Amino acid sequence: MMGDISLSCRDIERYLGREEERVHALRGVSLNVEAGSLHAVVGPSGCGKSTLLYILGLLDEPDAGSLQIGSTAISHLLDEELARRRNELIGFIFQFHFLMEDFTAQENVMIPMRRLGQMNEDEMRDRAAALLKAVDLGNKLHRQSRHLSGGEQQRVAIARALANDPQVILADEPTGNLDTDNSQRAFELLANIVRERAKALLLVTHNHFIADACDWVHEMKDGRIVASHPHGQRISV
Amino acid sequence: MTATFYIAVRFATHRKRALLLSLVGVVFGVGIFIGTQAQTQGFAQFFINSTIGSNGALTLRSRFQPRHEGLVVPTKNVNALPARRNYFEGIHNVSDIMRVSRQFSNVVACSPVLRGNVSARSGFEMTTVELFGIDPASHLRTTDLAKQILDGKFDDFTNNTSAVILGYKLADQLEVGCGDSIQLLSPGGEYWRFVVAAIARSGVGAIDSTRVYAHTRLAQRLLKKPYQASMIIYKLRDPERAPALATHFETLFQHASQSWQEREESTLQLFIMLRLSAAITVSLMILLAGFGIFNVLTMSVLSKIREIAILRSIGYRQVDISAIFLWQGALIAGVGSLLGCVLGAVLTWGISKVPIHIRGLLYTNHFLVVWDWRHYFWATVLAGIAVFIASYVPAKRAAQLQPVDTLRGSSL
Repeated sequence: MMGDISLSCRDIERYLGREEERVHALRGVSLNVEAGSLHAVVGPSGCGKSTLLYILGLLDEPDAGSLQIGSTAISHLLDEELARRRNELIGFIFQFHFLMEDFTAQENVMIPMRRLGQMNEDEMRDRAAALLKAVDLGNKLHRQSRHLSGGEQQRVAIARALANDPQVILADEPTGNLDTDNSQRAFELLANIVRERAKALLLVTHNHFIADACDWVHEMKDGRIVASHPHGQRISV
Repeated sequence: MTATFYIAVRFATHRKRALLLSLVGVVFGVGIFIGTQAQTQGFAQFFINSTIGSNGALTLRSRFQPRHEGLVVPTKNVNALPARRNYFEGIHNVSDIMRVSRQFSNVVACSPVLRGNVSARSGFEMTTVELFGIDPASHLRTTDLAKQILDGKFDDFTNNTSAVILGYKLADQLEVGCGDSIQLLSPGGEYWRFVVAAIARSGVGAIDSTRVYAHTRLAQRLLKKPYQASMIIYKLRDPERAPALATHFETLFQHASQSWQEREESTLQLFIMLRLSAAITVSLMILLAGFGIFNVLTMSVLSKIREIAILRSIGYRQVDISAIFLWQGALIAGVGSLLGCVLGAVLTWGISKVPIHIRGLLYTNHFLVVWDWRHYFWATVLAGIAVFIASYVPAKRAAQLQPVDTLRGSSL
């Protein structure tokens, strides 16, 4: 264990689809993610990795089970409250980085801060610049995100995920769209930030090397976590 | 600047062509609404000003016998018509009525008029005219007659008891000018000769083609009337309140009283119909602009599904997503209305310069317009409502989009 538990879920159940096509996507998933630790979720496509990630990220609601972020239990909250917690406590990174194309790198990083509304314009700009500098994009603050390379865009997404200093970072295939060098670089950057700033990282990946570099690897199959390995143990994905 | 407003501005300005199309619809809708209202109301206002300026805002006419309720209770279920009034021609206690009338705060001035129809002759031309026997001083205070003089001087009329003022169309018809003489035929069959001191133009065709002003005393003798006035005309501070005052005067003085609204009812209804018709036509234009905005915002929602999912994932609420699209609508409505008001003002000015030759109901050589802030206000309100309705559905749809569906599409 690296520290206090930042994210925890117990017996999560989730059904997807309508009556005829109903799929039992998650079957009693339980998980603890500690501050300063890196957790990877691996498994074949359609095993429920992303579904789990969206539930943990408060974008989707489980049909059963409990969820806790920090010391706060999350259940049956209104959209407004869920959105506030997403904004304050969680940072998301997606496979296709999902940046606002017409916004500059700096503006993209400022979007979560604008919603939080705790800083003035200058403070937001300064913080966004500092975060982009931390991901080696200090010289591309004002470049539109569509004009950045794939690796650079993913680094902007990492900076954006850290914008409101969240407790938890959730990443859905963060390197899935990058070449090997950029994958390695983005992951190392993310890992360093998580460890330095004591964040809890849960990432979904198909990449063996990245999963192997995490503190914990959780194997999923048919909506269940079938095995959880600490760092260094051999896994089969 | 709120987060949602900031994002709305960025979204709106990014799709410049769509924004421009939406704006054009609102700008033209608002502008044309203002222009048509200014123009249709311009003619109506001109007519109202002219008729009030010539015939007063309120007139008091013949005395009537008060109706008394019978002492016997009428039987039920009898559709008895109210008893008809008995009218007595003319006003006999003119000075008393005028003295009491002047004590009303809404009354600016009042003037007695002895009115009658006679035949007028000049050379071989002959026509029936409406003779207005007036007291020049009080009539001047009550009407715009002095301002209506086209040729000659009002003082020449005042100083010469056998002088008359003619409506300009009547003067044309009789082929007379200032200094010429005309003959008026008395009911006794005698021709009385008058000098034309001035020619006036009220702007209302019915007045300009029949009206002859003469001094009261001479008119009384010519018309062989035993009373000094057949009506009293009033100038009011607030002509809009004329109907209430007319009702009050009728009860107070027991004389038939008529407001300008009642007197000109049929013509005013025509103007109201024209105005409504123009307003409906232009409102349809604004509605069409609303459909355009609906399409643009719906397309915007469809093209921004990814961005909506991103915003939701980083903590933007459903109401924030709605607000982003409603703000875009508000931006279009705000900027569109502002530019539309400018266009409306330019159109109004332009319309007022358009030459038009009207010599019938009204007299004018160019389009008549009214500059009224209410046109701008209502055009803006109308545009606001249309744009809000057009924005509401796409905004609601955007808010209801499930981010997971979009995000899942890229990562499963």
